This record gives sequence, C-alpha cells and structure tokens, in this order.
Amino acid sequence: MPTADTTTTPTAATRRTRGEAIVEARGIGKSFGELEVLSDIDFRLAPSEVVCVIGPSGSGKSTLLRCLAFLEPYDHGSVHIDGQLLGYEERGGMRVRARESRIDAVRAPVGMVFQHFHLWPHRTALENVSEALRLVNGLSRRDAEAEGMAMLERVGLAERAGHFPESLSGGQKQRVAIARALAMQPRVMFFDEPTSALDPELVGEVLDVMKQLAHDGMTMAIVTHEMGFAAKVADRVVFMDQGRIVESGPPETLFRTPRSERLQQFLNTWRERHID
Amino acid sequence: MFDLALLWETRELILQGLWNTVWICFLGCLVALSLGLVLAALRLSSPRLFGYPVACYVELCRGTPLLVLLFLLYYGGPGIGLRLDAEIAGVTGIGLYGAGYFAEIYRGGFKSIPKGQLEAARMLGISPWHALIRIQIPQMLRLIVPPGTNQLIILVKESALISIISVDDLTKNATTIVNQTFNVIEPYLAVALLYWMIIELIARGGYALEKRLANRQPRHVAQPGDTAHAHG
Amino acid sequence: MFEILLNHYPVLIKGLTTTLVVSLSAIALGLVFGVLLAFGLTSRHRWVRWPCGLYRSFWRGTPILLQLLLVFYLLPEVGIEVAPITAAILTLTLNTTAFQSEIFRSGIAHIPAGQIEAARMAGISAWQTRRRIVMPQVLRLTLPPLTNEIITILKNSSLISVIAVTELMRVSEQIASRTFQPLETYLAAALLYLAVNLLLARISAHLERRMAGGLATE
Repeated sequence: MPTADTTTTPTAATRRTRGEAIVEARGIGKSFGELEVLSDIDFRLAPSEVVCVIGPSGSGKSTLLRCLAFLEPYDHGSVHIDGQLLGYEERGGMRVRARESRIDAVRAPVGMVFQHFHLWPHRTALENVSEALRLVNGLSRRDAEAEGMAMLERVGLAERAGHFPESLSGGQKQRVAIARALAMQPRVMFFDEPTSALDPELVGEVLDVMKQLAHDGMTMAIVTHEMGFAAKVADRVVFMDQGRIVESGPPETLFRTPRSERLQQFLNTWRERHID
Repeated sequence: MFDLALLWETRELILQGLWNTVWICFLGCLVALSLGLVLAALRLSSPRLFGYPVACYVELCRGTPLLVLLFLLYYGGPGIGLRLDAEIAGVTGIGLYGAGYFAEIYRGGFKSIPKGQLEAARMLGISPWHALIRIQIPQMLRLIVPPGTNQLIILVKESALISIISVDDLTKNATTIVNQTFNVIEPYLAVALLYWMIIELIARGGYALEKRLANRQPRHVAQPGDTAHAHG
Repeated sequence: MFEILLNHYPVLIKGLTTTLVVSLSAIALGLVFGVLLAFGLTSRHRWVRWPCGLYRSFWRGTPILLQLLLVFYLLPEVGIEVAPITAAILTLTLNTTAFQSEIFRSGIAHIPAGQIEAARMAGISAWQTRRRIVMPQVLRLTLPPLTNEIITILKNSSLISVIAVTELMRVSEQIASRTFQPLETYLAAALLYLAVNLLLARISAHLERRMAGGLATE
C-alpha cells in the first residue's frame, strides 16, 4: 500500500539532492488509431521545478500529461516516476501492461488536478478531500477529516467544508480539487488546463493557490493557456505543436525571443487577443 | 348497481390475495434488485470475462415472456429435480426475470457517471474496488431511481401471472370470486384498484427517495475553533 | 428440446402464427389509436384531456392479465358475444394504445415548437402540419421505444392462452401435457419467442441506422 511519505528511502533522497528528475519520459509516442498524437517526446521534471506546457489545441499537450500519469497508455517510449517504470512490466522479455496495484504504487507520488475538477457530487468538500486518506492510507474518519480541514484551510475554503460541490463556484470547486490532491502529500502535481473551464473572474483565485504551491517548492507540470502565469511562475516553458515539442526553455527566452516560426505565430495570435 | 356488500362478504379472499401478491412481489423485487446489481457490477469490473454472459442473460429476459419462465420453473423444474412450491416459483421467476432488466438499468446508471471522477479516484491511489463501492455505486443508485421505480411497477403488474401457476394472489382470487358469485365487475375492479394502489405507493416512494438523495443542504462540519471548546 | 421442435413443429408454427397475428393486429391498431390518444392528451380542452388521462392511467396501471380476464368475462355480461381471439386483440389493443400514446406524446413534445410555428405562418393547416411536419420526425424519434413496446406486446400475447386462444403458449401447454416433457417443451417455446424478438430487435436497429440523420437537434 503506497504510503504518503516516500522520502525515507535512500534512493529517493539521494536522487533529490543530486537534482535528478522525479518524472523522466523518453521517446514517448502515442496514436489514436490512424492518428499520431504524440511523436518522440522527451520530458523531464526535476524536484521543485515548475514546467508549463503551452501550445494550440490539438497539439497533444493534454495527451502528454495524461500519458505521464498513465491515464492513457503510451505506445512507444517509457515514463519513469522516481526511477520506476510506469504502466508496464517486463515479463519474459516482453512489455505488458502492469497490474493496477503496481501502477498505483509507481504513481503514488503524483497528484493530478483536472480541467473539469471531477469532484464527487455525493460527497461534501471535506469528504472529497478526506476520502482517499481513509481508503488508501487507512486513516480513521476523524483523523482524515482533521487533515482534510488543514488542506481546505491551505486553499482558503475551510468555511465551505460541509458544502456539496453543486453549491460551490467553479473556482471553489477547483481549489477543493487541489486540496484533495494535496491531501495525499504528492511530490509532483500535474495540472491539466486547470483554469480553462472557469469564468474569467474565478481564474485568479486558482492561480493564486498554484503560485503559492510553486513558492512552497512543489514540483509541478501545468498544461495551460495562461501565458501571464507561465511567464511569472514557470522555471521552464515547453511549446508543443502537432504532437511534438518544438521549443523548450526559460519563459523569458521563449516569450521574448522565440526561435521557431510556429511559436512566433502562436504568441502573435495570443497577443492579438489579450492585453498583455 | 355496484354491489359493495359483495366485496365485504368476500373480503377474506381479497385480503388473502392481497397478502400473497404483496409478499411475493416484495421478495421477487428484492431478488431482482440484488441479482441485477451483482450482474451489473460483474460486467463493469471485468468486461472481458463477464460482458458476454451478462449480455446474453439480459437478452434472454428481454426476449422471453415471464410466463414461459414461470412454467419452466414450476412445471419443467421437476424434470431436473427442482420441486418448487408455486409461491417460491413465483418469487424465483420474478427475481430472475427482473434481474435482467435491472442489470441494464444499473448499467445505464454507471455509464452516466463522468469518467473523470474515476480518473481522479485512480490518481489519488484509490483502488478500482474501492472506487466501485464508494464512488460509482452510490452515484449510480441515485441516477437509477426513476427507471428503477418504473421497472418495479412493471414487475408488480407482471406478478399477476403467478395466478396461472395456481398461486392464490389477487388475480386468482378475483377470478375465484367471479366464478362463485357470477359478478364480474365488482371483484375485478376492486382488485384492479388494489393493484393500482400498490403501484401508486411505489411511485410515490420513488419520488420521495429521489428528493431525499438530491444533496441540497450542507452538512455541519466541526470548525477548528469548535474542538478547542470540546477539549475545554 | 430439439425432438419436440422436430416432431411438433406444425402445431408450434400454427401457434406462433396466431401469436404473430394477434400481436401485429394489436400493434397496428394501437399505433393509430395511440397517436390519436396522444393528441387527445395534449389537447387544449380540459374535457378532452381528462378522459384521455383516465384511460391511460387505468390501462397502464393495472396488470394485463387482469385486463384480459375483465374484458373476456365482461363482454358476455353486456350481451356481446365474440370469439376469444377477438377479445384478445381488443384487450391488447386497449392496453397498447395507452402505452403508445405516452411514447408518441413524449416524441411530439421533442419537436421544437418553432418548426410548427414556421409551418403555420407559411399557411399550412394544423392538420397538415401534424401530418407532414410533426409525424414523420416523431416516427423516427420513437422507433426505439416503439420496438420495446412491440416486443412487450409479443410477450404479453402469451397470456391470451388464459382466455382459450390457441397461440404459442397454449400449444406448448398441450404438447407438454401430451408428452410429459414440460421442461423440453417450454424451452422450445422460449427459444421461439427469443428468436422472434431478436429478429425484431435486429430489424429495428437496421431501420434506426437507415433513418439516422434528419432529426431536429436543437
């Protein structure tokens, strides 16, 4: 059963001090039938690194994140979380899909926040946050709810703890979703377009929470359209188009001096629509 | 014209029939609801293993009349060493037949749950088994209250068939009264009214359940300040 | 089970034919009256809506076996002598009309009001609008629930054996008592019902695919 604290294993600690990647993906390829959506992607996340993945619709950025989380199986390449292969096992020289419990174990350090929140409607905010603590970590209801309240306070929603998702605004729902993921003490958080489904006025409260997380040293991979956020918070920005990584680098470099024409076009289109 | 006194004289037969109809329907529906859930859960958890068998079972229930099933159980049963009382055959028939329909209803309910909720659960490390029990089934149960109630009503009406395998239910006893007293309208209308009342009760119960399961009111949660008071 | 089928297939087929004749007659009549009842249920006049609603409540809310017995025993009482098969078709029609009216009522409600308004503004009469604009679309929409209803009627027809109509179920009972093999006989009957119903489902799915497209999606 995956425990929340994996920092006691010597290899993980050593890896961190050496600055080795928590997430390491090499040669990732994926097709949906005839359509190739990801081609030869290399991606790594070092501890406390914040990486934003940007690109036009259909570029494959969400698919990449979902493959890194093995919510979609990748066809080629390998994803390693903390040095362990995610999603597949070598059996008799062949690669087969790993058992669900094995996938859970390798994936344990990863937390994920979705575009459409996916809170469970039959549970209150607090219950949403504490559910996994009870089921996976075996905490008693009281202990789980105590920790859950702490998480809700961290995202500023302690007073809505007893409310059901349907009476929360979009921004509040997403913050509860973040608290839910944080409760399992992940070492890396994936965000799949966390603000794309929100009304403009509600985007800020979610970005503020994410900024604070980054400031506190969380390792994050964020697929987003929020260029302002990427410019200010990201250590590295990755630009994808048509299933490939086109450019990758610090935000100042990428946004001010884009090398590829596609990125220039993308940024121009974005600037025409936004007041920077 | 309408002879109420007749109904009063034959009230024992009517009440006896009512009792048999009610308890056989109740048990039969219970079996149908439970067995249907097992079938649906099996199909959901291992589609490759159970998908085809469960689908066949559902098609069987949909494609054959309940009467044939009852006859198979009651008259055909002895051929394979199964000697059932008519009432038990009735419960079994209703249960097995209804299970096929409920398996489909549960399946529809499961399908309506957004896939993302399951993904969120898996990302948190919640096992597929726990996700089924704590996330999928509770939501599915709320979604299926309308079609489920409808199916229960259908089963209650179908239960009248047990009169044909000689169970003394409402329908059989009504016919007995008709044959004894040569009055057709009073017994059948009275019995129709009783069936209608049972059905109305189920319909209203379903509606009340729907309202109760819709989460409107927030639940009280102990705020950080409260525990300080509790510990004095 | 297979010997039963082989040895007795003439009577079985005859019984099945009766089953199909009764069912299809009831379905066809139910279609016509069901549409009419649907219009009655959505009428603006209360004195039309209420009796229609009452009719629907009774015939949908009581067991069909009871309805069969009621009609079968009641008709002679009021001096009408009919063959059992006629009483059977009559009862099944009365029953399915109520269910089909609900299917059509729901289908009609799905047609956006704007289409009807556009037709009326163009000068098309109310009756013509219903016939040429509303009903063709409704028929496409209601194909799935109608198929279910047709299958239900076919299954319900097994009950008319109770009022002495020699359809498939009654034939099976006769064979069973003659051969002392109820298990095999009823399995054979189940197989026949299943075959007819699966065939129906296939035809319906095929029709649905051919009719797909051209539906109001607003």
